[in-house]
Amino acid sequence: MTGAAAVHEAFADLVDGETAVVHRVALRLAPDRLIITLPNGAAQDWMADELREVPDQADLSGLMLARAGDPLTRLLIRDETITRLLRQNAPALHRRPPIENKGRIAGWAAGAVASVSLIIFVLVPVMANQLALFLPPAGEKALGDATFEQVRTALSDADFLPVEVCEAPAGVAALAKMEARLDAGHDLPYPVTVAVLDHDMVNAFALPGGRVILFRGLIEEAERAEEVAAVLAHELGHVVNRDPTRDALRLAGSIGVLGLIFGDFAGGTVMLLLANQLINAKYSQAAEIGADDYAHGLLSDAGLPPAALGSFFERLMAEYGDEAGWAEHFSTHPKMIERVDAAQAAQDRAERAGEIGDPVLTAAEWRALRTICGPQDDKGQSSSRRPERD
Amino acid sequence: MALRDLTTDYAGRGAPMFRLALKTGVLTVLTLGFYRFWMKTRMRRYYWSAIRPGGQPLEFTGRPTEMLMGFLTAVVVLAFYIGLVNLVLMFLSFSLFKGEAPAYLLSFLGLVPIIFFAQYRARRYILARTRWRGIRFGLEPGVKGYVWRATLWWIATILSAGILWPVKTFELEKYRTDRTFYGDARFEQTGGRWSLIGAMKHVYIAAALIGGGIFASTMSDEPVWLVATAMGAAWAVLGLGHWKAESFKRLTEGKRLGEVRFRCHPRGGRIVGIYLLGGLAIAALLFALLFALGMAIGVLLSFLDPELIAEGFDDFASLAALPAWLATLLGLVAYFSVFLFWGVLREVFITMPIARHLAETTEIVNPDALNAVRQRPRDEFAEAEGFADALPLGDGI
Repeated sequence: MTGAAAVHEAFADLVDGETAVVHRVALRLAPDRLIITLPNGAAQDWMADELREVPDQADLSGLMLARAGDPLTRLLIRDETITRLLRQNAPALHRRPPIENKGRIAGWAAGAVASVSLIIFVLVPVMANQLALFLPPAGEKALGDATFEQVRTALSDADFLPVEVCEAPAGVAALAKMEARLDAGHDLPYPVTVAVLDHDMVNAFALPGGRVILFRGLIEEAERAEEVAAVLAHELGHVVNRDPTRDALRLAGSIGVLGLIFGDFAGGTVMLLLANQLINAKYSQAAEIGADDYAHGLLSDAGLPPAALGSFFERLMAEYGDEAGWAEHFSTHPKMIERVDAAQAAQDRAERAGEIGDPVLTAAEWRALRTICGPQDDKGQSSSRRPERD
Repeated sequence: MALRDLTTDYAGRGAPMFRLALKTGVLTVLTLGFYRFWMKTRMRRYYWSAIRPGGQPLEFTGRPTEMLMGFLTAVVVLAFYIGLVNLVLMFLSFSLFKGEAPAYLLSFLGLVPIIFFAQYRARRYILARTRWRGIRFGLEPGVKGYVWRATLWWIATILSAGILWPVKTFELEKYRTDRTFYGDARFEQTGGRWSLIGAMKHVYIAAALIGGGIFASTMSDEPVWLVATAMGAAWAVLGLGHWKAESFKRLTEGKRLGEVRFRCHPRGGRIVGIYLLGGLAIAALLFALLFALGMAIGVLLSFLDPELIAEGFDDFASLAALPAWLATLLGLVAYFSVFLFWGVLREVFITMPIARHLAETTEIVNPDALNAVRQRPRDEFAEAEGFADALPLGDGI
């Protein structure tokens, strides 16, 4: 060891890993080695490149040394000069032992990834799909009612009151007429309840148990009653396919598994939600296309233009842009442009068959529906939010 | 010649702990949580080496890779249980009870034995990877007995409205201690089943005051009785500090290691003080951090949109001047830094001062008997503490 030309001597504590006795040993620091003399006179030479400092020690005024290849013996040096010289000159003081069992770790990691993927992407969805069909309607309704109240509370503004349900009688009547015209009853496992919530989000969704929610923002964004009818038909498609129930059951299965993986590290909840969103997106895209298909059929049968679904999306796309780039993977909706095209194709088919009939609402009824939440005067402001679903 | 009793030095310091906890915490966030095995190992090495009975530091010899392995094992086993069982429970709960509460309850109850299992296995791993004076600690296999005992004692504790908590604490500690080794020497927990009841007395008094106050004020319609409730709440804080110190003292002094004994004199007031002052310090620093973040955002905004200063900052709509990616980034930074600093500051201002106080007030009596202790073989224990790591058990340092 350069810089240690003079020989330094001191005492130190050595434990040999065989007994709990602390041996008081004499140290001599030579240029290339540390000579340790035990009380019984036996001496050990620890070569400079064999010296390792035990990592992450709280007390750095001394030096806790191990010898490469010897997991048990420890030498605790408190002498300042030798500590300083060793820190300066020992060449491999902080070298780490090589990681053992790399192959086994990789094997288990692959096994864990495979088993978790199997559970999250295959077993849980398959079971959720099957079980959703067996859930009694009353159970589904309870699930939907609980979620409905959660949604109302979650969307409340600063006053923390749940979002109002809009119930202007003329508007409710117009909505009921629209529902009756669509006439999905024969496909539905249970009666549907449609509610309008007084919130300016441009959005609508279906909950388990046949609850469909439209937001005021969506009705205001629509230019024709047919566009609202198209969205309603799409949500009815979700109800018929029992998508909300599948979602809820799948969430129950997968959220716990994701919680296992991310553990409780700082802010892990965000990771958990993002990962869940990613998984959901994969299934929801299929569900959305299924609901669109159903809506096209329902609209054609009711003599309403399927293209209204497309024209509505088109306007949203002009206003908010198509979801592109990385955000697409997190988005639960397929690309709008594809949906617009599909709606147009359905429209062409319906026109060829001569199925397009009277408007869904009269002008007065359409006005009533637009004021179902009471008169609104700030229409232009209401669509500032980005739609999350429709 | 009898050696002097060994007092315990504590070498942990705030600044290095802050740096270590922050560095490993940031790495954990950046690696989406997978650095946490390295973080835990490094933090433990530090905490262990800070405790120096008779001047000789403890050493934690666990390796992050074995914790990772244990975690992977646990994930493979638990994922099936948690995924499929929870799904079926949710289905049954809505089919039969029209609500989700029974599912959560059953799912949790099903996990309880696994949690006890994980606790015992985690203790075994930690002891097997702890050395002092070159000699390993160890815990005998015996997880089955622990799981049913823990289940029964927890049921008894809940049925007794918490009165039997000290008995449960003693019984479970005795089960673990009687199976704990230092080298080839076995520990023994002495003191009777009821020996911790006295340590809980102030908590009982506080509970009686709180309950009595509420009862009297409801019955007599005189709100003045609520003063007793308020007194009880303050008493409970001090009482819990007393419980923590006194139960630690009684359990430690009740331990035997052959001829070796322990003496311990922690103070409840000191523990309450650490929690209160530490809590205040953490709150103040977190507040300062949020304030600094807010200032940074304000400065940024004034560069991007100078008119905003003239208009005044009314509500969060003014944040719209920020580009979306920047707003997202700032939000993520703020979110993670609050969690991160909360964890780091808790180590510095609470966990470490408590560890220091408990260490510095503990002595080893008759230490020459230690010289007869021989090494025990290494406990390979491949699963490490995977189950405890996968389940949200809190930190069992």
